[in-house]
Amino acid sequence: MSHLLLMAPALLLLLAVFVWPLLDYAWLSLQAQSVFTGLETVPVGPLNWERLLADGRFWQDAWQTLRFAAASVALELVAGLAIALLLHQRWRGRGVVRSLALLPWALPTTVMALGWRWIFNDPYGPINGLLQGLGLASVPFLASPQLAWMATVMADVWKTTPFVALLLLAGLQMIPNDLYEAFALEGGTPWQGLRRITLPLLRPYVFIVLLFRLAQALGVFDLIAVLTGGGPASSTESLALYAYLNAMRFLDFGYSATVMLGMFLLLLAGAAALLVWRRQAEVRA
Amino acid sequence: MRAGTRTGLVALLLLWSLGPMLWQLYTSLRTPEALLAGAAGLGGGWTLANYGAVLGGDPPFWRYLLNSSVVGALSTLLTLALAIPCAYALSHRGGLLRWLVGGGLLAAAVFPYVLLFLALLQAARQLGLANNLLALCLPYAGLQLPLAVLLLQAAFAELPGELEESAVLEGFSLWQRLRWILLPLMGPAVVSTGLLVFLFSWNEFPIALTWISRSELLTLAPAMARIAGSSVYTVPYGAFAAATVLGSVPLLALLLLFQRQIVAGLTQGAIKG
Amino acid sequence: MTALPAPSAAATDAASADAASCLRLEGLGRRIGERVILTDIDLEVAAGECLALLGPSGCGKSTVLRVIAGLDPCDGGRILLAGRDITRQAPARRRVAMVFQSYALYPHLDVERNLTLGMELRGVAPEQRQRDLAAVLELLQLGDLRRRRPAQLSGGQRQRVALARALLRKPELMLLDEPMSNLDAQLREELRPQLRAILSGGRAPAMYVTHDQQEAMGIADRIAVLRQGRLQQCGSPRDLYHHPANLFVAGFIGRPQINLLPQADGTVVAVRPEHLQAMSGGGGLPVRVLSREWHGASQQLLLESAQGQLRWTCDGNQAIGDDLRLGWEPHHEHRFQQSSGRRC
Repeated sequence: MSHLLLMAPALLLLLAVFVWPLLDYAWLSLQAQSVFTGLETVPVGPLNWERLLADGRFWQDAWQTLRFAAASVALELVAGLAIALLLHQRWRGRGVVRSLALLPWALPTTVMALGWRWIFNDPYGPINGLLQGLGLASVPFLASPQLAWMATVMADVWKTTPFVALLLLAGLQMIPNDLYEAFALEGGTPWQGLRRITLPLLRPYVFIVLLFRLAQALGVFDLIAVLTGGGPASSTESLALYAYLNAMRFLDFGYSATVMLGMFLLLLAGAAALLVWRRQAEVRA
Repeated sequence: MRAGTRTGLVALLLLWSLGPMLWQLYTSLRTPEALLAGAAGLGGGWTLANYGAVLGGDPPFWRYLLNSSVVGALSTLLTLALAIPCAYALSHRGGLLRWLVGGGLLAAAVFPYVLLFLALLQAARQLGLANNLLALCLPYAGLQLPLAVLLLQAAFAELPGELEESAVLEGFSLWQRLRWILLPLMGPAVVSTGLLVFLFSWNEFPIALTWISRSELLTLAPAMARIAGSSVYTVPYGAFAAATVLGSVPLLALLLLFQRQIVAGLTQGAIKG
Repeated sequence: MTALPAPSAAATDAASADAASCLRLEGLGRRIGERVILTDIDLEVAAGECLALLGPSGCGKSTVLRVIAGLDPCDGGRILLAGRDITRQAPARRRVAMVFQSYALYPHLDVERNLTLGMELRGVAPEQRQRDLAAVLELLQLGDLRRRRPAQLSGGQRQRVALARALLRKPELMLLDEPMSNLDAQLREELRPQLRAILSGGRAPAMYVTHDQQEAMGIADRIAVLRQGRLQQCGSPRDLYHHPANLFVAGFIGRPQINLLPQADGTVVAVRPEHLQAMSGGGGLPVRVLSREWHGASQQLLLESAQGQLRWTCDGNQAIGDDLRLGWEPHHEHRFQQSSGRRC
């Protein structure tokens, strides 16, 4: 009983911050609350949900969000694993390099997004400066719908790979060195050791990284709001940004709540799929 | 791996990690003319005027840093004050309750919290908490509680049970056990959890953006976004860059100072999670 | 061997005469879910007496201590300490001190702080604290170690600090949970008389959990043998050795293990290895020597007989393969029911 008492303040705040909003959205998504209603709530039944299903921009953004998350998390995993392997070896100065390599992760996203906006600038940014120096034409990274989303991926990879590398490094450090020694005595090459020992034993860590990073990347907001503002022509807009714009720019709160709840349901479906996939992978193993 | 290959890879890693930051530093120290001349204009045209512009703005830039520090520190204290008892209780429970609360906390820890901003904003307006810097601590503490409780719970569970039992038999109250025995032994975990909460609060964007509209109350993240969208700072980016440098330095210093604790906190989260 | 073998009847008399400071368990029970850990334990420990709880691992002996201390709940029966019923009392109010197997010293505090923190938080006056501290440092020869952290102490030193901390609690009952198991064999033997002197010097009853019968016999006035959560026998070490109440106690007490010879009438005859003797005439049990270990003062033979293998502690020059005849004095023979294990 006294244990529940000790947990009560934290649990109450958690309920207020995490559970109440979702209930609020469930209610709000059945209301109209916008400039047309004078910001009063008017019950409208499933109107918002019907609009959501037919909303091309919502589904376009869902696709763009998924594309952003899949590309950035995949790149982060590969790059993060490479960096973790590099930092796992013994060499002088490893500690310093590890600290320095972690720096991008600690920066506020808005700060670093602003920095990347300058790096991608056309024509004055350093990348275009380099291209021009080589006699090439400058590239409008943030003005081209084909390139802008890749720019957002690149900035996200830059910021988050250190975090992924750190978690995978922790996983590498949990693998006893004996295993590699025994494997080497049996005649295994380092490359085989990576495939047969490191990767299988790293699986739980990869799963954690996937879980955290996919959830964060699917909710991407800060980076895109500052780096591209969702443009050009909404080509980098994420679902979270769309929900934000619905509320704060179009002042359509009922629909904004519907968008967020719709996104939440998509996430839930994704999480369920991930869990089922993992369970099946466990059964196979 | 050959030493030469490794040195090359390490150099590449450092270039990739530090290059963009160094470029900001470089940009912040150049005159507009030098920047407009592009890569060809390397050399000449150094200035501190960009920093002068940012620090002399209205409000001056250090105001945002101060606001972020205050919010970060208070959120950290509030989070720890709520998370420590909760984690203690959770680590002493078994069975269904622990399973439910633990699972809920993990789900909440990975939840993209940006989805919550509208409901939190409406609540803040109803409760009169908008444009109140200190009130930001409430959602920040709530959002960071899941991670904090999970980390601290793992740290509590690692302490040998006999230590606390021994203190119980010596007649210590719960508060005395926490104050004299358990928390001193969990120092590293408490510090690393606190640092992670501080980093989050310092960097948080959507809630600060929507709760705070008065410019002298802005925290760093929304201030940067406002700078990005304002016309005062036009191309070239000298002033932007000075702002990003000033906004980065405190956190980079914090990270370098407490690197060990932050890494320990992150990796422990991974292992226990 | 124990210096003062107090027969159990005498100890019980002493206890009832001095009920004000004795421990009494009445029908103590403990279960976790469906699993029964302790069943119906009745025990008494008199003031100044040390009772050892002895049994194989997992028999529930540590649980007895934890239930008495209040660290584990009690699911039946009563615990009386110095005349008070403490069964439902909070652990802190029971005035019980415990020395844990791991010693549970606070690793971030030095020896002196480990000893004084509890007194300070219990509100003991500063002069009193200083006096008690000085006395216990003297008693346990810890004076030179007061500024050391637990990590800088040897196992034996840690044990002394833990004991000192328990004594400073001025407990009405002292509980010790395998306090020697982290020490090496030689140190254990050295510390036994010391520990025994300290425990019998106090007025409080003491309860000592161990799985090592040598240690139990060396330290305790009486021994309670536990098996699968049930009390098998409680008595002086001599009692247990010479009059084991059942087959389990007979086999558990005494090394090398007692010889068991199943009889046709459903009983088992048990004879200790040192009580066997060679028969010169025609009688006795024919055996053949299988192997032999020489221990200096004696030797240990493993023998083959028609009734199974036997152990014999003897001196002499028997060689492997020798054929012998063995017998024993009738008063050295124990007889038990095969089915129930009870003594006949």
